[in-house]
Amino acid sequence: MTTATAPVTAPRAWRVSSAAGPARLLRIELRRSPMLWLLPVLAVLFYVSTYRPAMDNPPFWNIRSGTIQSHTMLVFAPLLAGAGAWVGSRDGRRGLADLVGVTAVPRWAGQVASWAAAAIWAEALYLAGVAVVYGVTAHQGAWGGPLWWPVTVGAATVAASCAVGFAAGARLPGRFTAGLAALVVFLALAGGAFAIQDNATYAQIWPLNVQGPFPPDSYGIFYPYLPDLAIAQVMFLAGLAAVALGVLGLPAGAGGRWLRAAAAAVTVAGLAAAGTAVGLAGTARVEPHGIVIPALHDAASDRATPYTPACSHGAVPVCLQPAYRAYLPEVTAALGPLLGQLAGLPGAPARVTQVVVTTVTSARENGIGFGGPVISGRPPVLYLPLSGLTLPGEGNAPAAQFTANLTGQDGTAIVNDLVGLPSGAPAGTGVTGVNFELGPRHAAQFAIANALDRVLNLTGPWSVPSGAHPPGRSSGAGTGGNGAAASGSGALAGSGAGARSGAGAGGGAAPSAAQQQAAVDRFATLSAAARHAWLVIHLAALRAGRVTLSEIP
Amino acid sequence: MTAAEIGQATPERARVGGRRRPGSARAGLRLVRLYLASRRVLACLLVLAACAVALRTALHWLPRTGPFSRQIPLIIEAGAAAAIGATARSPFGEPERATGARLPVLRLGVTLVLAGAAFGVLAAGAASAHLAGGALGLLRDLGGLIGIALLAAAVLGGALAWVGPIGYLAVTLPAVAGHWTSPWAWPARPPHDRGAAICAALVFAAGLAAVTLRGARDAPARD
Repeated sequence: MTTATAPVTAPRAWRVSSAAGPARLLRIELRRSPMLWLLPVLAVLFYVSTYRPAMDNPPFWNIRSGTIQSHTMLVFAPLLAGAGAWVGSRDGRRGLADLVGVTAVPRWAGQVASWAAAAIWAEALYLAGVAVVYGVTAHQGAWGGPLWWPVTVGAATVAASCAVGFAAGARLPGRFTAGLAALVVFLALAGGAFAIQDNATYAQIWPLNVQGPFPPDSYGIFYPYLPDLAIAQVMFLAGLAAVALGVLGLPAGAGGRWLRAAAAAVTVAGLAAAGTAVGLAGTARVEPHGIVIPALHDAASDRATPYTPACSHGAVPVCLQPAYRAYLPEVTAALGPLLGQLAGLPGAPARVTQVVVTTVTSARENGIGFGGPVISGRPPVLYLPLSGLTLPGEGNAPAAQFTANLTGQDGTAIVNDLVGLPSGAPAGTGVTGVNFELGPRHAAQFAIANALDRVLNLTGPWSVPSGAHPPGRSSGAGTGGNGAAASGSGALAGSGAGARSGAGAGGGAAPSAAQQQAAVDRFATLSAAARHAWLVIHLAALRAGRVTLSEIP
Repeated sequence: MTAAEIGQATPERARVGGRRRPGSARAGLRLVRLYLASRRVLACLLVLAACAVALRTALHWLPRTGPFSRQIPLIIEAGAAAAIGATARSPFGEPERATGARLPVLRLGVTLVLAGAAFGVLAAGAASAHLAGGALGLLRDLGGLIGIALLAAAVLGGALAWVGPIGYLAVTLPAVAGHWTSPWAWPARPPHDRGAAICAALVFAAGLAAVTLRGARDAPARD
């Protein structure tokens, strides 16, 4: 048989569906993605930056999820942008741009497959880390359920970081591109933090921003987690990723006419989404339960989450939200002696109920001020917020510190409220004191409150500050409140003794410091029963400002 | 060249009366020039200059105190360190290592010059502004970050050297606000902290030694 007589067989046509090419390419890219090399590094960084800090805090879903969004993304976003740039610059670095430009699969589809492979590996690691943190949190018995919106924002940040870096690498291939992409993303994150602290409204879109100035333990427990800001952030990040990837499909060599038109549409849609998200973030406002964006807000989120409180069984029961059940002994130990002394007095709380906040005010530098405890209702109920306090186990804080803080801050506020001193004013971050107009008619209230502070050891070593007139002391929720700030200062301003600038402005002759001190000493040296009996009779008059210093036994 | 000539000195390397011929100096300069070109040192210098401009711009806007006054300059310093780490990558790999007898000297010299240039341009960028930590803090932080970049180049490859300083900074940036006490988190320590300075110097020395003696790891085949 010669070649001329050999049977001619038609070459087999390998026809594949149009989607099979990119899918096969994605499988190849998944196997060969350089992101695989970075996964161990990212895993170590996740452990150091997220897992350990998260486990240093009590098992609350809100604290753990906030750590995941802010800490993880601070580490992951720059590194993933750099890795994305490394992946994106591969063809350029290897001199393969012309070669891959003439393959059957359009260039843009190939680039998207490379990005997708890198992003899939990064997402897999991120979600595995989230699973570990949430699994441990669930194992530790956290109340409620995991918060998924912060995780979603993190996942969107991962994809967007990879996309931005990939686009930079594809456009500017070179050995410095990856490092510079990481640096730019790092600077963008730092710039966002700076802008948000500078009260730039649109900077709320910053992906590391969980709930604006709210500390992590102040949302998502009493009320559902407000997803308004998270929705805007996801929209922004998705838009950013779409723009970054869409721009790659615009050049002539990226593909056919329809493909380039699709890339242009993706780019425009991404720009629109990102711009809209930034605009929405500009309308964000601080509400008691989190950040609200009116256009995205769901009224159903304003309904309180039902729960059965965990209560102590003392003379004055203390009832906490079940997420705080573990802290019931500490809260009872902190407030029990005080409440026992005050039990039976007119206006004294008959019950303590934990609330998320009493009042919320915005403060400078992305700060927030929370009001302290409030006594109201009939029978009187003490509404006690714990948000913003350093809980036992938070950052290795001992239980004794929590008890002392609670006694010192909320105990004085309760006494103030009871004797009629101004209370309920919020303490904003950076506020060094809240000045009230206090006149001579408040002198007796000050004396009684100071004496009770001294007897109950609410503020530690007690003394009348020289020159204070009347003697200054912690006053109301304004100073004893749970001040907290996202900026990290978190100072509880003015929680010690502080002179009132308005003292003596109420008209009439103000008593001297010596008279004040004498009244305090007299009342403090009374027996507990005598103090209680006197207060039962005179508390109403004292609150009304009708008791003078000389009438204090 | 015949087989008999193998092993004999090439004309450029031949010595006359114990002195190097004039042509050998020119060859040395050419070797340095080629080495600098292969490492993209000029591009690195441009990146360092850009970092200095970025630092100057940032210092114009930043407050003089607070965490941001430390954190943002540190990020820029990490970028400069990453650029120096990227220059450690050799485009030739094993052939160069097998034939380049003077490579360690070139690596050492170029790395030291680039480190000095980075400090110089960043210090110049911060000259008329307030840099938290001052020049001493800049020297310590930048030196440590360069050391990390060089170590990363030796372990991961020059192209991935940026992973070291960026990753280290991502972990230690919160420490700047949290005032960590470990000297290994030197950016969080005051500029006169001796322990932090020693740790940063050790890391710089280790990185320099690794890159000088071993060079950057060859890029993985699958990148």
